[in-house]
Amino acid sequence: MTENTALALEDLHKSFGATAIIRGVSLDIRAGSCHAIIGPNGAGKSTLFHLITGRLKLDRGRIRLAGHDITGLSPHRVFRHGLARSFQVTSLFPRLSVFENLRVAAMWQARCGHAYWRSVAGYPGLHGRVLDMLENLHLTPRRNVPAAALAYAEQRTLEIGLALIGGAHTILLDEPTAGMSRAETERAVALLRRLAGGRTLVLIEHDLSVVFDLADTISVLAEGQVIASGSPQTVRGDAAVRAAYLGTAAEDLA
Amino acid sequence: MADQAAPQTALLAGVPGRSRAWMIWLAATAALALVAPHLLASGFGISLLNRMAIAIVFALSFNMLLGQGGMLDFGHAVFFGLGGFATMHLLKLADAGIFLPVPLLPLAGALGGLVSAVPAGWVATRREGTSFAMVTLGIAELAVAFVVMLPQWFGGEEGVSGDRSAEPALFGFDFGAALQIYYVIAAWALLAAVLMWAITRTPLGRLTNAVRDNPLRVDFLGYDPARIRFLCFALAGLFAGVAGGMQALNDEIVTVSNIGSAASGAVLLMTYIGGVGTFWGPVLGAIVVTLLQMALGTLTDAWQLYSGLLFVFMVLWAPGGLSGIILSHAPLLRAGLGHRLLARYLAVVPAALLTLAGLIGLAEMAYRLQAVRSGGAPGRLFGFAVMPTDPVAWVAPTLLLLGGLLALRSLAPRARAAWQEAHTLLARGTPR
Ligand SMILES: Nc1ncnc2c1ncn2[C@@H]1O[C@H](COP(=O)(O)OP(=O)(O)OP(=O)(O)O)[C@@H](O)[C@H]1O
Ligand SMILES: [Mg+2]
Repeated sequence: MTENTALALEDLHKSFGATAIIRGVSLDIRAGSCHAIIGPNGAGKSTLFHLITGRLKLDRGRIRLAGHDITGLSPHRVFRHGLARSFQVTSLFPRLSVFENLRVAAMWQARCGHAYWRSVAGYPGLHGRVLDMLENLHLTPRRNVPAAALAYAEQRTLEIGLALIGGAHTILLDEPTAGMSRAETERAVALLRRLAGGRTLVLIEHDLSVVFDLADTISVLAEGQVIASGSPQTVRGDAAVRAAYLGTAAEDLA
Repeated sequence: MADQAAPQTALLAGVPGRSRAWMIWLAATAALALVAPHLLASGFGISLLNRMAIAIVFALSFNMLLGQGGMLDFGHAVFFGLGGFATMHLLKLADAGIFLPVPLLPLAGALGGLVSAVPAGWVATRREGTSFAMVTLGIAELAVAFVVMLPQWFGGEEGVSGDRSAEPALFGFDFGAALQIYYVIAAWALLAAVLMWAITRTPLGRLTNAVRDNPLRVDFLGYDPARIRFLCFALAGLFAGVAGGMQALNDEIVTVSNIGSAASGAVLLMTYIGGVGTFWGPVLGAIVVTLLQMALGTLTDAWQLYSGLLFVFMVLWAPGGLSGIILSHAPLLRAGLGHRLLARYLAVVPAALLTLAGLIGLAEMAYRLQAVRSGGAPGRLFGFAVMPTDPVAWVAPTLLLLGGLLALRSLAPRARAAWQEAHTLLARGTPR
């Protein structure tokens, strides 16, 4: 692990019952990079995110975030060390407005704490930050709509917004463009490119055009192990990757 | 589809903008509270107002948990009752000659509520949903057992009583008179309501809503959902304690029944009938249910049955409560679509009245059968002599009920369809 490592995974293991799902994953994710994790369905990509963010407990291994050992911390503590995430299955606050969704996501960063004696409108910068994010997400006209009433692509966009607004230096995105149309995907990619600015992005993605568009490093996860890791060119040429991707995705990769 | 969901789901959505409207509301409410006892210048009227004020604070504190935080507390009266006991003990000290200003005693209720809610919340808020509800049920049982076990503190069956008339009088007020204690209680109700409303606009208030909607996601945004639930629970306990303190001053007695499951059930009932989806819904529920209780309580022994029926009706057909009904109609009326509803709604009224008459008939017959069997007089109902022992007399209300229900079965769906059509029109923005 070097100075420059945002997230270091050391020999992570996780089983559900007798089934080993993550079987010795080690990865160094460079600070400021966009690191894509690809792999077939059921490879354990989401499980890996759950382990990193404290949603699931590790069986074995160690996780460092910018040098801090975050192994075994609960999700809110992991967040406080500077790591945010989005979910593969959209996870919003359905009855809160779009504005309120984003504001809740920005509260920790704005040092709101658990205050119950001070109006939430009175925190310097919080309101403006939410308005900026609304603009960036192109959701300003929808700011007062409850999240439950948004269209699917809008919900996915808000999902990304919740991960980005909290000021984390490392952001894990689990299939941010899943279910989006071509045009919506392009908008989301542009958004990520614009907002990433110096932060570390870790991206699980099935859409390989998105991967090759954004990522500077790609790791391939198959059956709970990293079978290849490197620059897009290296991974593209890797025989093991081709084997793991036998089927439709192989053509995309070529 | 999304558009149809909007009227229900938008209830608690953040509505910035209308920032100064609250001042007008507050001024109007304060003015109303000031003149209300003079409009109802009777002992019954003032006692009704006091009960309403107490119920409003209690229901609002309950809704901090249910509506704002998604926590169903089956033992909320524990904090109400213990707040009442705390206030009553201080009142007794005041009676014994120690100087304690009576109007400030509900502060002791706040402390009693808070101190009891902290350990209870510490246990209960580690869980959410059904487990949380079950734990609060257990805590309520425990609290009752505890109170019964310590008669030297809680007075056993008789409870603890005191005398609120201050000795010496404070600035010429001794608070013994109904009107004087009314102003004390109304002031507390206003203060508590304003504070609870203000809390909804703080970071904790918003986080509480977020935890209600999706605790898992809150955890990934830097906050421990259990801690947010805990803080919300403690504050709700505090305000329930204030309500308990108000009630102690009003009734000058607190008993174990004030912390029991019937009291917890009553606050759930009013809050739900008013509607948990808005801040002011429980206020409405507290007013309506208190009114029903006191009005029906003087007319019939069966009032509990009626409020139970109302509750079941609301849960099944108007889960948004009275405030939900109002909110789903307000935009229609504003858009001038009211006339599309009027005829269909009016058509339901006679059918509903028939059903109600049938129900009341049967309920009263049943209650009075009991009275007759224990040697009482059956009395009259709607001007008719009631003959509960005569089987033929049961036929009329049964027919009314069946006829009413049959009519409702065809008319109610038409009213509902009119409502839905109006909302579709509203969503499309079609004028008229
Ligand atoms: N809580 C759980 N209990 C048991 N098995 C689980 C659990 N969570 C995930 N799994 C299994 O672990 C495997 C990996 O799941 P995971 O969601 O990490 O895959 P993934 O790589 O994200 O797949 P996808 O691309 O479809 O999202 C799957 O076989 C899944 O069924
Ligand atoms: Mg996945």
